[in-house]
Amino acid sequence: MLTYEPGDTVVHALDPRAKLAVQIGFATTALAHATPRALAGLTAFALAALGLAQVRPLRTLYAYRFALAILAVGPLVAAATLGPPWVDLEAGLATALAGYRVLLVLLVSAVYVRTTPIRDSRAAIQRTVPGKPGQLVGVGVALVFRFLPVVRSDLRTIRDAMAARLGTERSARERATTTAMNGLSRTFARADRLSLALRARCFSWNPTLPELAFSRRDAPALGIAVALTATAFL
Amino acid sequence: MATERSDVDLVDAGVVGAFARAALLATLLGAAAPIAIPIPFSPAPITLQVLFVFLAGLLLGPVWGPASILLYLAAGGIGLPVFAGMSGGLGVLVAESAGYLWSYPIAAGLIGLLVHRGTDLRDPAAVSTAVVVAALVAATALIYAMGVGYMAWLLELELWEAVTVGALPFVPGEVLKIAAAVAIVESGRIDTLDA
Repeated sequence: MLTYEPGDTVVHALDPRAKLAVQIGFATTALAHATPRALAGLTAFALAALGLAQVRPLRTLYAYRFALAILAVGPLVAAATLGPPWVDLEAGLATALAGYRVLLVLLVSAVYVRTTPIRDSRAAIQRTVPGKPGQLVGVGVALVFRFLPVVRSDLRTIRDAMAARLGTERSARERATTTAMNGLSRTFARADRLSLALRARCFSWNPTLPELAFSRRDAPALGIAVALTATAFL
Repeated sequence: MATERSDVDLVDAGVVGAFARAALLATLLGAAAPIAIPIPFSPAPITLQVLFVFLAGLLLGPVWGPASILLYLAAGGIGLPVFAGMSGGLGVLVAESAGYLWSYPIAAGLIGLLVHRGTDLRDPAAVSTAVVVAALVAATALIYAMGVGYMAWLLELELWEAVTVGALPFVPGEVLKIAAAVAIVESGRIDTLDA
């Protein structure tokens, strides 16, 4: 699974906002170009980013295996044609190249995930998105982070209980209904307790945020972000 | 460091309640990503995520339903493992299944508007089943239109090719999820905050 891992690489030290900007720039230019030449450049950039952050490519690819399955099937479906000549290599190649750039975008975003703690991302969101929506998104993301293991274990408990009662023999519709209904009622009960606790602790629109500051070493990253975005219009 | 020096501006109690539910429903949506239930006659197992998108619209309404799903997308975007296959990262939000992900908040908003007819929440159990089913079918159509459309554009596929990869294997599962969502809402076991 792809998560943050502490480290002391250059990429770890960058401001999360600079890293987000680089990702957005990279994705913008990757979606705009699917020529072999552009892809070669994008590949070099992605590999450099992985290298700088000391992220292992194979392990990252494994983390995105579900997305890769569709990217692998795509060219086969595109190449298959009804009627002679049955195989349209050109269409298959176009889809393969288009799919490859998606793979590169995923690799670059993996660099961000590996090198940025959720706390920093939260602060970046809250400082970038203005006003009350920004506050709610920041706090909401932090809550999702905290409650994810809890809600997962709730769902696991429900599924274990169903399995113990031969729930696996029931129809898919019944299983989906039971899991979702019990999951939802537990989750909403948690939410209502959480809302009480938030109010008891004076949940406000203007809390003090963790420190976050651009430094001189973020300048190259921001420059790269702007350059990447600009190449989308070439 | 920028410290807030103004007075504490408390969040309204009603907003806290709805926000807490929206945040935890977003969590549930993420926690449900690894759960797959096999169904007969289809190569693709169903996941419960779209079911929770339906329930977000039905139970949280046209404002907090989409808000909940946007929180889910934001959490996934910064790297929490909440997307299919327990993956995360900004890349997933532009990758081949991004059309589906971005359609979720719009679908939840559409369901909320059709079922609640405004921002004041009604008890969805009291709304006629035909209206609920129509809203869910419309939302499903929207999800697949956006999902397949984006996949076809991104991967340079013909439309029918994208439908083969991105829609046909999942249709039986969608019928089942609509049935499950209706059953959950009609059971009346889960209340909306305002109703």
